[in-house]
Amino acid sequence: MIVYNKSLLDNTLFVDEASSLKESGFIDPAQYQTIIGELSTLKRHKNILIRLGFFLLGKFLYSSICGMLSIFSINFENFNDEILLFVYSIIGFVGIEFLAKQKFYGFGLDDAFLLGAQLLLFLGVGITTKGNFLAVFITIAAASIISYLRYIYLSSALLFSLGLTGSLAYLMFEFGDIGKSILPFVLMLFSGLLYFSAKIALKNIKLPYYSKGIELVNSFSLILFYLSGNYLVVRELSVLLLKKEIPATQEISFALFFYAFTIIVPAFYLVYSLIKKDKIMLWIGFLGLAFSIFTILYYHHILLPEEALTISGLALFVFTYFSIKKIKNNETGLTFLPDRFSNSNSQLNLETIVIASQFGLQPEINQEESPIKFGGGGFSGGGSTGEY
Amino acid sequence: MKKFESEATQTLLARNLISKEQYLQIQAYRSLNIFSLRNELRFLLYLSVLLFTSGMGTIIYQNIDSIGHIAILSFILVVTIICFYFCFKNAGNFKKNETAFANPIFDYLLLSATILTCTFIGYLQYQYHPFGTHYGLATLIPTLICFFCAYYFDNKSVLSIAITGLAAFVGLSVSPPALLNNTTYNTTSLSYSGILLGIALVLWTIYATKIDLKKHFNLIYFTFSLHLISIACLNNLLEVYWYFFEIILGLSTYYFYRISHKMGSISIFVFTILYAYLGFNFLLFKILEQINPEYLVTPLIFLTPAYLILSIVMFIKLIKNFNKKTSNDSLQ
Repeated sequence: MIVYNKSLLDNTLFVDEASSLKESGFIDPAQYQTIIGELSTLKRHKNILIRLGFFLLGKFLYSSICGMLSIFSINFENFNDEILLFVYSIIGFVGIEFLAKQKFYGFGLDDAFLLGAQLLLFLGVGITTKGNFLAVFITIAAASIISYLRYIYLSSALLFSLGLTGSLAYLMFEFGDIGKSILPFVLMLFSGLLYFSAKIALKNIKLPYYSKGIELVNSFSLILFYLSGNYLVVRELSVLLLKKEIPATQEISFALFFYAFTIIVPAFYLVYSLIKKDKIMLWIGFLGLAFSIFTILYYHHILLPEEALTISGLALFVFTYFSIKKIKNNETGLTFLPDRFSNSNSQLNLETIVIASQFGLQPEINQEESPIKFGGGGFSGGGSTGEY
Repeated sequence: MKKFESEATQTLLARNLISKEQYLQIQAYRSLNIFSLRNELRFLLYLSVLLFTSGMGTIIYQNIDSIGHIAILSFILVVTIICFYFCFKNAGNFKKNETAFANPIFDYLLLSATILTCTFIGYLQYQYHPFGTHYGLATLIPTLICFFCAYYFDNKSVLSIAITGLAAFVGLSVSPPALLNNTTYNTTSLSYSGILLGIALVLWTIYATKIDLKKHFNLIYFTFSLHLISIACLNNLLEVYWYFFEIILGLSTYYFYRISHKMGSISIFVFTILYAYLGFNFLLFKILEQINPEYLVTPLIFLTPAYLILSIVMFIKLIKNFNKKTSNDSLQ
């Protein structure tokens, strides 16, 4: 099923391993260079900036090829426009197939062709079925899993998870209001199933190629589980789906359960991930907890937003200070000492960018209004530019 | 997946790409089962500073008329002084090369202190006008304090605040969102100051390298300078004197291309190439505009894919070249 030459794919993984050994200082750069020289790999870019650049170029190339075809199709009268979307999509799949045969894997260009082909296919299905979302989501799930198995792009694994969830949700909508009301519980059950099947699959696979995708599905199911029981999500979605206004003073049914769920699940994630030493789950738990706090403050105005910011900032500082103190010098297990394998500089650089975005001084043009902008609330910021 | 990582290491050993000794070291380290929360806890510290200073800023801003000004000012001052006190107490003596606090928590205390200093001076100027109408001074003083702290405590985040302050003094807003949204340069004269500031930053970096002062700051200076100069040039390509800016862009591309090779910095490399490509395409567009464009529409549509493929091949070549050069550097 995999389109790439197996030994090249293997070599790519070995070079990944060697690179992480180099980063962690177990082998020196010279030895790393020899390893690269020995092993021929697939062509790809690990640097996200370069990959993004080639992605854009690939998008231009893809659209220019499609544009060229449109010129021809103008000449045919009564031409069915919807067919054209499928033709474009096929071009994209031919493109990715060609690039994969040329040993491109995660180069940027190939991402552009694959994603473009998939999106055009979904668009085509959407238009021909006159906006039948169930059909679209089923297409997304089916097309993505096939492309994932063949080309092993994480983007396809993500699309597959989304497609599957979307299909289930729209299937439930077919049952009318009952389906919509029990949707949170169905999704909880579904994400639980997804989580455990991914877990079992991860344990049983012999070959490493699909492990990252399965891990992604695993994390996806954790997030989905949390969101499907989060009070804010459930409440707002039930307003949206059942088209029934809920007054601010009135609670939704099972409110107590959803409140408890909102608080307990992220807390459980945090504790469990610390026991199991699972970084991704830790982050999900942390983000979930932040969202839970937001959820509660959103419906119960105990604090003004700025007070909440200040107090949570202080509390977080104190909490972190003592945590660091506690685990500062542990030699094994939980520790504040850097891990040789994941000691990256990128976080520091990101911090620099966010700081410059958030607190950079502004020129004094509107002098009467405000001399220097006080650091306002909110976290809009160019954190994603990844400049350094 | 840990299982596959150690399998890969075993294969490297089996193929004689790593030695037995190295393999044993790696296995020993992995069996320690370290779960380092260093990055996570640092992030939390950072987040707490961000939350606290944002919250404080907003509270002050919203209650600007209700709480006494003196009360607010003295509160900020006290917090700032406490933060600075701990930083000075825990910092070693000034060194010209890279240094760090023993405990990263002080980096974040320093960050709070400098941000609060900026808030303090801004508020002071807003309310009591100690600098009168010399508004520049109200920017320059926090900038100088930031520069001092950045160099004394060796903190990159503070340095970047200082540079934005310097740009603000000249009249530019160079925070990353402003650069992205293209609100940095409203007028042509601002573009000239932007280019001059960019050149000044480069000159300072060259001087700092010569006297061996905090060389690891160079990347930040170069990054600001590259974006300042290039965006100023690109912004003016639609103006009358576009060829002048096209020439400057060409020169800066040449300079930063060499710098990126010298420093092995991918981000500078990528953005230099990006800006150069945009500039080049604009030049091409200007040339095509001179020829009668109506003839060209159809052939252009057919030539575009070929042109894009050509550019892709060129980019791949440039990257290969970059990789070759920089890996040679790291070998030496």
